[in-house]
Order: sequence, then structure tokens, then C-alpha cells
Amino acid sequence: MYIRKHSVNRPPTPDEDVTESPERDELTLGEIINIKLVESGEKENLMELVRDRLVESGWKDEMRIACREHVKKKGRKDVTVDELIRAITPKGRASVPDAVKEELLDRIQNFIRSAAL
Amino acid sequence: MSNSEDNKSSHDQLSSQVFLDLVDSVIADVASECHRIARLGLDKDLEVVEEELRLSVEARAKVADPSNNLETNTKYVVDIFGQSHPPVATEVFNCMNCGRQIVAGRFAPHLERCMGKGRKARAKATRSTTASQNRNSRRNTSDNQLSSAPPGFEENVKRA
Repeated sequence: MYIRKHSVNRPPTPDEDVTESPERDELTLGEIINIKLVESGEKENLMELVRDRLVESGWKDEMRIACREHVKKKGRKDVTVDELIRAITPKGRASVPDAVKEELLDRIQNFIRSAAL
Repeated sequence: MSNSEDNKSSHDQLSSQVFLDLVDSVIADVASECHRIARLGLDKDLEVVEEELRLSVEARAKVADPSNNLETNTKYVVDIFGQSHPPVATEVFNCMNCGRQIVAGRFAPHLERCMGKGRKARAKATRSTTASQNRNSRRNTSDNQLSSAPPGFEENVKRA
């Protein structure tokens, strides 16, 4: 069931109000999946799994070194979080170990299949 | 209905999307953490690190350098707390035998004399009769044992 806004003052409608729920039209498949992930708690499990794997593979340490390098260049005082994220995201995405990526993708695909979409 | 391939590719796409989303979250965490450390100066400053590096290099060079004043080094060894210990202990305390104030570094020789172990002390000790009896009896037994003592030693004994 998708969440519908209830308004007390809304006049009663005989039929299902298509205009009332614009969210349904806007909800992409990806968003649906995301909602299901969150609701089932699987998203949290996945987050924990990703974090553990990335820490134990040394990826996080590499990222922290990259951050420190960036901070050294830009100066400690005027670095922003957004800037840091932008600076390390390309490298971060690229340097995820293949095994970790496969493990995660596998789990996600299982979830999608079992969500019967 | 054979959209299995389509489904698979869209599934792949979806799962990739989810995966990237997860990775981005972790990246944001790391960035936030590093940002905090950087702004609070918790991580060692670049200048501080360089300074420490320089100091450690200097210290190592000094230790390895043989042309340093070795005389001062060997006489006054500096321990890890930076304290230097003179080779002769300088603390003064009271001798428990005679009650005099003795420098700790000279305590052993003092005790020799004070308690009668040394040569000169025997002269002092023989003044008291009981003490001299004890010493003489001890000396006799020790003389018998020391049959192969060097001649100089025996002379000294006789003189005492």
C-alpha cells in the first residue's frame, strides 16, 4: 500500500482519486525497491555489510588518506564536506574491491527477485 | 512473457543503483569524519608532523654521531627520563653502626672500617676484649684454611 495523504477537509470522492496520488506516478521502480529495502530492514543489513567489508579490505583507510591529501592541499580551515565528498567519490567508487562488489550485488539481486517484482 | 532477459538487465541496473547508493553513503561517512578531524585539528598538523620528523632525524643523528663529547656521556649517562646519574652515589645518610653521616658512595669502605672487616679496623677492634677474642679465634681458623696464602698476606696478619 502506498502512503496517501489524508486531509480531513477533503470532499469525499466516489472513486479512487488519480490526481490525489501523484506520488504513485512519480515512484520509479528504483524508489519502490528502496522503500522495500528500508521497510524490511534489509537496507540496514546491507549498509552494515558494506561498511564491514570496506573497512576490512583497507578501502576506508585509503579513502581517509585521500581525504587527508585533499585537506593538505586546500588548507585545513576552509574544506567543506561536500568538497571532500566530491573529491573522493570517483576514486571511492572505482576502488571498491571486486569481491565486495560481487557479494553485495548478489545479495541485492536476491532481494529484488524475492520481492517478486 | 519471455522478458527474462529484460528483467535481468533491469535487475542488474537496479541492483547497481542500490549498490552505488550504499557506497556513496559510506563515502559520505568517511568524508564527514575526515572533515571533522581536519577542522578540529585532531589529526596531526602538516607542520607538526614535519617538525616531529625533523626532530627525530636530528635526535637519531646525534645518537649515531661518535664525535660527540663522549666523556660527558660516559660519566653522566642520561636515562630516558632525562635524568643524569653521577657514577658515585652522592646521597648522605647515617651509618647504622656508628651513627656517622656517610656518603652513600663511600659506605662500603666505611663499613669495612666501621665493622672491623678491613686491616685498620682490626686494630680498633682489638681494643675491646670480647671483640678481640672473637676476631682472634676467627682469624686462627681462617689462617688454617689459608695455608697457601701469599707471603705478603701473612706478614700483614702478623703485623696486625
